[in-house]
Amino acid sequence: MSAPTVDTPPTGNPPTDNPPTAASTVQASAAGSATAPSVAVHSAGSVLRRARRGQLRHVSASSTFLSCHQVAEALVPITIGLAVDRAIATGDGASMLRWLAVLLGLFVALTCAMRWGFRANLRAVQGAGHDLRMLVADRVLDPRGGASADQLPGQFVALATADALKVGMFNYALAMAISGIAGVGVAVVVLARFSLSLTGLVVAGTLLLMVITHFLGRPLERRSATERATMAAATGLAADLIAGLRVLKGFGGERPAVERYRTASQRALAATLRAAAAESTIRAVAVALAGGLLAVVTLGAGRLAAGGSISIGALITAVGLAQFLVDPLNRITGFGAQRAQSLASAGRIAAVLNAPPAVAERAPTVPAGADRQAGPDRPASRLRLEKVTVGSVRDLDLEVRAGELLGVVVADPHEAAAVLGVLARDADPESGALLLDGTAVTDLHPDTAREVVLVAPHDAVLFEGTVLDNIRSATPAETGGELGPVVTAAGLDDLTEVLAEGLHTRLRSGGTSLSGGQRQRVALARALAAAAPVLVLHEPTTAVDSLTERRIAEGLRRLRGGLSTVCVTSSPAVLACCDRVVVLDGGTVTTEGTHADLVHTNPRYRELVLA
Amino acid sequence: MREEHSGDGLLPTASAGETWRYLLRLLRPRWALGVLTVLALTAGTCLQLIVPRALGWVVDAAIDGDRGAVLWPVQVLVIVAVGAAVLLVVTRVLIALVAEPALASLREDVLERALHLPAGEVERTGSGDLVARISGDVEVVTTAIRTTVPTLAMSVFLVWMTAVGLAAIDWRFAVVALLAVPTDIYALRWYLRRSRSVFAAQRVAEGARAQQLLDSIGGADTVRAFRLGPRHLRLTAQRSEAAVDCAYAAMHFRTRFWGRMHLSEAIGVAAVLATGFYLVRDGAVTVGAATAAAFYFSRLFEPVNMILMMIDTTQEAGAALSRLVGVARVAPPPAPERAVLGEPAVQVRDVHFAYADDHEVLHGVDLAARPGQRVAVVGASGAGKTTLANIVAGLHPAASGEVRLAGLPVGQLGPDDLRTTVALVTQEVHVFAGPLVDDLRLARPDASAADIDHALAQAGAASWVAALPSAERTVVGRGGHRLTPTQAQELALARLLLVDAPIVVLDEATAEAGSAGARRLELAAERALDGRTVITVAHRLTQAASADRILVLDRGRVVENGSHDDLVAAGGQYARMWSAWSSAGATDPQPTDPAAAPAAHGAA
Repeated sequence: MSAPTVDTPPTGNPPTDNPPTAASTVQASAAGSATAPSVAVHSAGSVLRRARRGQLRHVSASSTFLSCHQVAEALVPITIGLAVDRAIATGDGASMLRWLAVLLGLFVALTCAMRWGFRANLRAVQGAGHDLRMLVADRVLDPRGGASADQLPGQFVALATADALKVGMFNYALAMAISGIAGVGVAVVVLARFSLSLTGLVVAGTLLLMVITHFLGRPLERRSATERATMAAATGLAADLIAGLRVLKGFGGERPAVERYRTASQRALAATLRAAAAESTIRAVAVALAGGLLAVVTLGAGRLAAGGSISIGALITAVGLAQFLVDPLNRITGFGAQRAQSLASAGRIAAVLNAPPAVAERAPTVPAGADRQAGPDRPASRLRLEKVTVGSVRDLDLEVRAGELLGVVVADPHEAAAVLGVLARDADPESGALLLDGTAVTDLHPDTAREVVLVAPHDAVLFEGTVLDNIRSATPAETGGELGPVVTAAGLDDLTEVLAEGLHTRLRSGGTSLSGGQRQRVALARALAAAAPVLVLHEPTTAVDSLTERRIAEGLRRLRGGLSTVCVTSSPAVLACCDRVVVLDGGTVTTEGTHADLVHTNPRYRELVLA
Repeated sequence: MREEHSGDGLLPTASAGETWRYLLRLLRPRWALGVLTVLALTAGTCLQLIVPRALGWVVDAAIDGDRGAVLWPVQVLVIVAVGAAVLLVVTRVLIALVAEPALASLREDVLERALHLPAGEVERTGSGDLVARISGDVEVVTTAIRTTVPTLAMSVFLVWMTAVGLAAIDWRFAVVALLAVPTDIYALRWYLRRSRSVFAAQRVAEGARAQQLLDSIGGADTVRAFRLGPRHLRLTAQRSEAAVDCAYAAMHFRTRFWGRMHLSEAIGVAAVLATGFYLVRDGAVTVGAATAAAFYFSRLFEPVNMILMMIDTTQEAGAALSRLVGVARVAPPPAPERAVLGEPAVQVRDVHFAYADDHEVLHGVDLAARPGQRVAVVGASGAGKTTLANIVAGLHPAASGEVRLAGLPVGQLGPDDLRTTVALVTQEVHVFAGPLVDDLRLARPDASAADIDHALAQAGAASWVAALPSAERTVVGRGGHRLTPTQAQELALARLLLVDAPIVVLDEATAEAGSAGARRLELAAERALDGRTVITVAHRLTQAASADRILVLDRGRVVENGSHDDLVAAGGQYARMWSAWSSAGATDPQPTDPAAAPAAHGAA
């Protein structure tokens, strides 16, 4: 159920070199379609269809049982009518008992059908919600990126929970509508026994009801979308303010922040009131039409009964059924409103699913990893940037030699971010090549590339779990075991004393229970524990004190001995431990050498590193 | 599994009485609309009640064989249908007009109080609880107002009116209808005994699911970098499936409850029919009246079921409401008279602080800064520097000891005084989502365009801001243009300039920018801080070296205190830190053979 697949099967040849990740089924890149986005195009309609088709079994079961329930419900007024006609009107006590027994039997059937129907219905609703939730999560976490940059995490969570469920509710409305049709059907069959013209009235009235509500549903869809959007904006704002609470309190910005939220909240209020008016109107029209239908049926049946064409029992039955019809008709008309809401949510989900990936995937010219062996004794990797142009970086040539510890000093943080983005396969270079032991990295699946070249983000996030879970999370299974050297190299030895339960201390999401320096070192330990052939660190020691920083720099040398490591940093302590230092200034490499040489010979270097 | 979400780890929740009082206070300004709502509800219900009687009249007319007499009850039915529809719109719109603005002010109150909660309080409970209240609970209450409240109100009215109608036909009908009541009460008691735990389990599971999604999606960049996608998808799937299972258990439970309600319906309708049988046989009522009674009773199914079924939604909404009111009614920060502030000096005496009861972080710290003086706080990571900074800035109240700002105890300063006295630039950077200029206006809402430009220029941010796609109007933060850490800190400096407080606390404010950025920031900070009293938590020791005085913090205690030269000469911890810092630079000869580096450390 959780396997993320798209509506349409992938076209072209599936790439052969992808790691078996859950996400790899979502791609459809063929040789030659180098830049075309390889994700199937979703629409509100296709998301809704997926929700229905994926849960067909449960939708069918719930429709069936709920229909049985409706039939039983329809038979209740009929039985009451018969009891009045055959027992009360005649004063026949034995007949009265019989009809009461029939009535009780009907209630047993009714309650069982309802029980099973709603249970299956819940499976259909929640199953679809779960499926869409996983689809959204899969798209956001897709190795090729591109979906997560432009919305608040809270908005994604709302999308994966509230909106996914709203789409799932379509299955609820569908089963309810089908059961409503069954209820109307029974009523029609029973009525047809009394009078065909009466039946014609009921059918025509029902159809009219459905058509009118369908057209009324359209403005509701728009208003419900506006309402959701303004409410989500207010909620997103609140979450953002709370996320930045300490910063906000630091400069005493609470009061203006409250004002800002008030404005957003009032905007949401206005949209809610408009949507409420629209929704009430739809409901009211349904009530008026159902009442009108009742009147018409009563008129027809009353005249027939008064004229002696049908019995009093038949009149009571017909009138009872016309009253009963309100519920199944509401189920049918409720479908339009729910479909409108589900479509609005499905549209938002489709928009996220359609976000183009941040990096293109080309057909591999050389099978990736053909010249690499798995396992810890594979030879050290060499990484070369050839004439790479990205952002303001022009024609950058840079080589990371096999097994070296390379320091990179970048004058402009934007350039650092751009180059790191290319190394991390978060973005494609505008031109030029990134070669890993001769293979173009840009031709690899991002996950394949990241297995070899690990770029540890500077603002890396720690996840819920223990400190140890976090450190171990990226450790390849075959190495496992001993983390002692990693913990020491990351300068985490003292954590065992400082934290109550040492490495087994549970972290809250985001690791907010640790200090900034502790978080940074745990994140560093995680990057080191991954033992990637090429490790790229970005300012790994900005939040630690100078003594610890120096210990970390030395630990880094010791632990990564023989493996290629790049430190994009301006920390003199770290640079001093590097085999070689390269300076990137104004978009190109301006100088290289050892830290000691550069410090003595290059004034610009001194300016960049020592201030 | 999630201990931190139970018990005392949460923000306050209001009692039922407090919740009611708070609601009444919110609704009071709209009492006239409320009265109109009740009138509309009553009118709508009375109209509904005419329907069974009209049907009974048709039955009696048919028995009499009078075709003409059938018409007028039908006309009544048409009028009722139109009237009921109109009243439905009126009622629902009125309910929305009464309840929605009240809810809006409630959520606004919640956010206001939340932002004024002590930072420590929010950190202790995690911001998750707060976000859950401001989004999840608000959503639950909104839905309740849109759907439950109108339906419930109409149902309660309908049940009462129907009971009256039933008694009007013959009092014995009303009496036997009561036979259904014990079963209803039994069903309700059975339900309420179990519902709390069933729905609590569901809420916990849904909370865990939201937390997992927030964790994975918020850390999507890290997930991608470490190829943790499959693991996070697996965790998400597990928690999502657990939540689905809990929802199923809840539905299983609900359907059993509905079964019990069906039982009570069956008993009631059988009793009314049997009574009709005897009353008609004895000639006490007509067949039409017995029919009307049966219809009356069967019309009770729907509203009674609605009431019973909505008890849990109502309970849920009530619980959500009491969580919201729990935050909203936290006493607003007392607004003492604006204090007369002295010279901007900082005095900290024997301050202790603990985040958890048994884990004290500061063990009696002293710190003093004269007006205009700069004091640097240095020390190893985890020594308590940030905690001290937060205490000085008034974010955390000290457990014991004294903190005086500008001559007054920090606890006596109201929010306005505090804001105009001290500003803190935190270690973490947060760019508030929205246009950049809105971020700055959080610091000073009435800032003119010139003020903004001036602050940006002073913070060294003018050039890059001008280069943004829409300059100051560019949407920044999560969901907008991503700023570099240096830019974000320059923005923080610009806010500081706009706030214009005489005392400033910098918590490693330049650390994240790297050296080149840090130097730029330090220059900007230099300009921004000129003439102010500054407490700097310094990571880059060059910053400490230029301070008037340096405080070395080690595991929550001040171990050294003096000027840079004094401390270097003393040869203590600061001297060792300084040596480690400067030896990496140009002052000492550097081992060109990298293998020698570890050995050099031991010599320090």
